[in-house]
Amino acid sequence: MAFTRKPQTFSSSINEVTIGTGEKAVTIGGANIMPLYTFDAPAKNKVAVGAEITDTGVDRTLPGIAAYYDGAETIAEIAKRASEMPGADFVALALNGADPNGDNRSVEECVEVAKQVAEAIDVPLVITGARNVEKDTELFSKLAEALQGRNVLFVSAREENYKTVAASAVMAYGNKISAESAVDINLAKQLNVLLSQMGIRPESYVMNVGSAAAGYGYDYVASTLDRVKDAALTQNDVMLQMPIITPVSQETWAVKESIVSEEDYPEWGDRETRGVDMEVCTAAAVIAGGSDAVILRHPQSVATISGMIADLM
Amino acid sequence: MGKFVVIGERIHCISPVIKKAMEEMNPEPIVKRAKEQIAAGATYIDVNIGPAEKNGPELMKWAVKTIQEACNNVPLALDTSNRAAIEAGISVYDRTNGKPIVNSADAGDRIENIDLAAANDAIVVALCSKAGVPSDNDERMAYCQEMLERGMMAGMEAEDMWFDPLFLVIKGMQDKQMDVLEFIGQLADMGLNSTGGLSNVSNGTPKHIRPILESATVAMAMNRGLTSAIMNPCDARLMETVKAADIIKNNFLYADSFLEL
Repeated sequence: MAFTRKPQTFSSSINEVTIGTGEKAVTIGGANIMPLYTFDAPAKNKVAVGAEITDTGVDRTLPGIAAYYDGAETIAEIAKRASEMPGADFVALALNGADPNGDNRSVEECVEVAKQVAEAIDVPLVITGARNVEKDTELFSKLAEALQGRNVLFVSAREENYKTVAASAVMAYGNKISAESAVDINLAKQLNVLLSQMGIRPESYVMNVGSAAAGYGYDYVASTLDRVKDAALTQNDVMLQMPIITPVSQETWAVKESIVSEEDYPEWGDRETRGVDMEVCTAAAVIAGGSDAVILRHPQSVATISGMIADLM
Repeated sequence: MGKFVVIGERIHCISPVIKKAMEEMNPEPIVKRAKEQIAAGATYIDVNIGPAEKNGPELMKWAVKTIQEACNNVPLALDTSNRAAIEAGISVYDRTNGKPIVNSADAGDRIENIDLAAANDAIVVALCSKAGVPSDNDERMAYCQEMLERGMMAGMEAEDMWFDPLFLVIKGMQDKQMDVLEFIGQLADMGLNSTGGLSNVSNGTPKHIRPILESATVAMAMNRGLTSAIMNPCDARLMETVKAADIIKNNFLYADSFLEL
């Protein structure tokens, strides 16, 4: 008997969420197929790639990054350059300087930086905070007000501050948020339930279910992503049908492979190559697992992953 | 595995309020009961109009349209011995949220309801009995096979045949309970879907005892692989049991608020 191909499509699908405004707005989600299974049905939207910049400036110790941002000095120039990065769909501003355990920049300073970035670019803006619950709560509230109308995505609201962040960022100023749970699928679902019970509409939030660099507990991330997609599609669990954004760079550029110098570890070879490799393989893995957007730092990583997406989707 | 399918049983002509509403074709009490059951967690709503010998088709059409229009096209189980009424109901049925369920066929006089379901791309509740209560599981299985074959011949997908083991009253048939559970296990081993009227088990017991017996039965039956029940979703204990069992079976992902979903 002849083989009959039976495409595996689902009657349920991932929600669509749009960030940014105008022609370059980006929509993620919408799929009713397993991640990258475009042989079953077309994916409604491509995985989006974000170019990460930070308020603390460009890491010019890496030649590839230094070359790309050569001549870009102010945050506005850097943001504009990032927005033009081949393969990048959006700019992700990491407010690392706001960290109370670091530079502890004031909320006002951060708002000023964010406004300059928003003014300089015509692509959607994603803002990741200080990754400090108290600071981020205040930061996101003020940023949401300052960036009203730009449809910015704030990464992330957590269990401790989701109420305040959702109320200000989404309800008061019409921006988008991501609900973060650190590789805890039950909490991921619970946060989505709590947000929906607040009246946050499905088109207004995404999930960040956590990430880890390949080799640093990535297996937990993989099983979390698999379980989320299984629940969302095969079990039609509406509380897990939010698209997923994964800030990859923050994890992969913080591990030993991307940090230690070639002088200290000559057998490991060039540091920048290692860092890009870590970033690319982790990003490829989360996309295969079902991430709908990734945040990357290195122009070469952005080019490689966007090329992969173009080939596979 | 998907979530356990709760078919809400509370639109039944045996209820005086519903009986009156059906006689007068007064939508309000019927819609109210449908909404209560949906809010409580029912996926399907059973619409039992009784034999309705006089105006079956007209009444079922009206009930289907009334409930679906008021309740976002909730999927329905059309429950009557009047075949013309079931066909009439299906003719106006909206499939957006699920196929209609024909409730029910058996291996006896009502076996043609399988053909009716097949012809209308509907789900059928297939009661594993012919006349009266089967004496043992061999007999139940023989009826199941007979109906399965009938359905296959008529072009149905096996998944659209929901076999009813026939829940038996505890007070009076206590010694048969484990047989029914065993039979549910046999259906599950064959990969078949199953459903049944859960409230049978507690017939004749005091009102406060009924949810306890039904909850224990549904939990034990879900453990054996029961995939659906026709039951009262408005009973909190019963719904909590179903939801918790769905969590334990990994049919639905746990979150602290799972009882509210």
